[in-house]
Amino acid sequence: MYAYKTGIGPIDALKGGLEPGTGILVLAPAQSSGEQLGYALTRPRPGEYAVILSTTMRSVDVRDFLAGTGFNRDFIGIIDSVTKLSTPGIADSMEVKYVASPSDLTGIGIKFSSLMESIFQGEFSSSTQALFPPPVRFYVDSLTTMLMYRKLEVLYQFLHVLNTRLKKMESLGIYILNGQSFDERTISLMRQLMNVVIEVKTGPEGEFLRIHGIPGVTREWMEFTVGQGSVEVKV
Amino acid sequence: MIRTGISGIDEMLGPGIPEGTRVLFSLEPGVDGRLFMLSTLRSALLDGRRCLVVVPTSNESVFRCDLGAVGGAVAAAGQLTVIDSNARETINHEARSARKRKSCWISLLNDRVKEERIDVLFVYFDLLYEDLGLEGGLEAISVPGTGAPLTTVVEHLNLEGEALISRLASGNIFDLIFSLQSAYTTVPFFNFFTLEHVAWARMPRRSIPYTSTDSHVKLYIPKIIVTGPPYSGKSTFVANASDRGISVDRGDLNGFRTTVAMDLGWLHLKGFDISLCGTPGQPRFDPIIPQLVRSAMGIVLVIDATRPEDLGRARDLMEIAFASKLPLVVAVNKADLPHRLDEQAVRVSLKLREDVPVVFISALRRSDAHMVVEILVERMTVQHF
Repeated sequence: MYAYKTGIGPIDALKGGLEPGTGILVLAPAQSSGEQLGYALTRPRPGEYAVILSTTMRSVDVRDFLAGTGFNRDFIGIIDSVTKLSTPGIADSMEVKYVASPSDLTGIGIKFSSLMESIFQGEFSSSTQALFPPPVRFYVDSLTTMLMYRKLEVLYQFLHVLNTRLKKMESLGIYILNGQSFDERTISLMRQLMNVVIEVKTGPEGEFLRIHGIPGVTREWMEFTVGQGSVEVKV
Repeated sequence: MIRTGISGIDEMLGPGIPEGTRVLFSLEPGVDGRLFMLSTLRSALLDGRRCLVVVPTSNESVFRCDLGAVGGAVAAAGQLTVIDSNARETINHEARSARKRKSCWISLLNDRVKEERIDVLFVYFDLLYEDLGLEGGLEAISVPGTGAPLTTVVEHLNLEGEALISRLASGNIFDLIFSLQSAYTTVPFFNFFTLEHVAWARMPRRSIPYTSTDSHVKLYIPKIIVTGPPYSGKSTFVANASDRGISVDRGDLNGFRTTVAMDLGWLHLKGFDISLCGTPGQPRFDPIIPQLVRSAMGIVLVIDATRPEDLGRARDLMEIAFASKLPLVVAVNKADLPHRLDEQAVRVSLKLREDVPVVFISALRRSDAHMVVEILVERMTVQHF
């Protein structure tokens, strides 16, 4: 079975990475490196692809960020829910698909299917390491924004459908949420959808993460840093 | 009457969608089905109808651009009015309770329908459902027309599946319901729509695959298998049924031509894009038939009316091609020549179910071949995926 490398030592050392179909929730406060941690988990390794749903940054900025962080953008598709508001006539390309707003779940679902289909059918950048099904990391940046636009119950149902599809496609789902902005019920429901939860906290001594949901991996807080699209954990 | 503008669906609905009809396009998450409503809107605008679109997930300029990509100049048409996300924000800001918000929507829609003398109301429903609840949302969009009854067309992202569709159909809330879904393997294998409910006519529940281009929906039959004993006329059938096609034939030692791989044909019939795949009939090619049958949606079994002795081979082919699991039509070919086979003999010999059509044809006649394909398409589309 394929294993998705995370760059987080204790996870990769255990089974070589995460199983296909895993959903990861990164619970991180504002002003932390949580978003960068999400991107580091999303970074496609050789033979892999990534699809990013951006609700906060325009795709042009996401692509600049990815280029500056050393990601291979040829294997990354973006669903941009920001740009269309200011540039209504902008047209989809193979790599970037636009939806009207983060509230447009119909559009997000359609563009997600469209990108996944082009990856599976080999119409996206083709890799020299042709794996089937092609490993795809799907990153939602961020649930915090989506919850501002849609009700919790609706988003829960939508993500449930999306997660089921990701499992069928043997892909990896990565979702970031600011745990401090929402009540316990919201966090609890979002946790229910995921197999793995990575909590992030910041302090004067640095940034720490704690992993839930992987038997055999410590639940202790571990200091980490993120740089150039990679995460380093001090064990 | 208004029309969907989708070839195949409009034929299915006959003269069109009557005035005052409430139409629902229910979209499963991820299925590319937005063109159904946009195409209906384009069609209504081209017919000179005054249309009001309620699109709470988007702003007017984004919506007009999206419509422009599908419908060209109609996006700028004067008879199109749009209520967008700004209206929703204002209502949600000013009215705190769902009850008050519903009142605001009712008065906004009623006013706009009267002022603009709207003929057709188009609603992207899921945010209204979220804000007002199902009953509240439906009440808000139940707007009386000015003079003639108002036709209402709704697109909804259905996160509740069949339960919601059953509720809406059985409650007679919508007169015409299409559900748009994907058949998944590891990736969407194909999109299909199901005609779930028609209030004004007796029509079977039917499902039909489709493909979407940038501006059009095309109904699509991925594969029909044409099989039968050697020399029964399969290649002739495929060639005469198709608009274009290829055949891989070789001459045998007796001078007859026989198919050694497959016949392929493509045709456009009654709004459908259809692919035909003819199998070889010789037993030595039997191992490839199960591969050819994969992802087929129906089978035409061609037998020769002048050769009853070949019915045993036809039975074998039915088994190899899993004919009992797929919609099937038996085409008894060469019926224009003297023959002894009758329908009863065919049915008994092939152990056919009562509902399997047996049609006597001459594959040399294009109209006969088309009739067989039409009968099979009719059978395929009433089968749910």
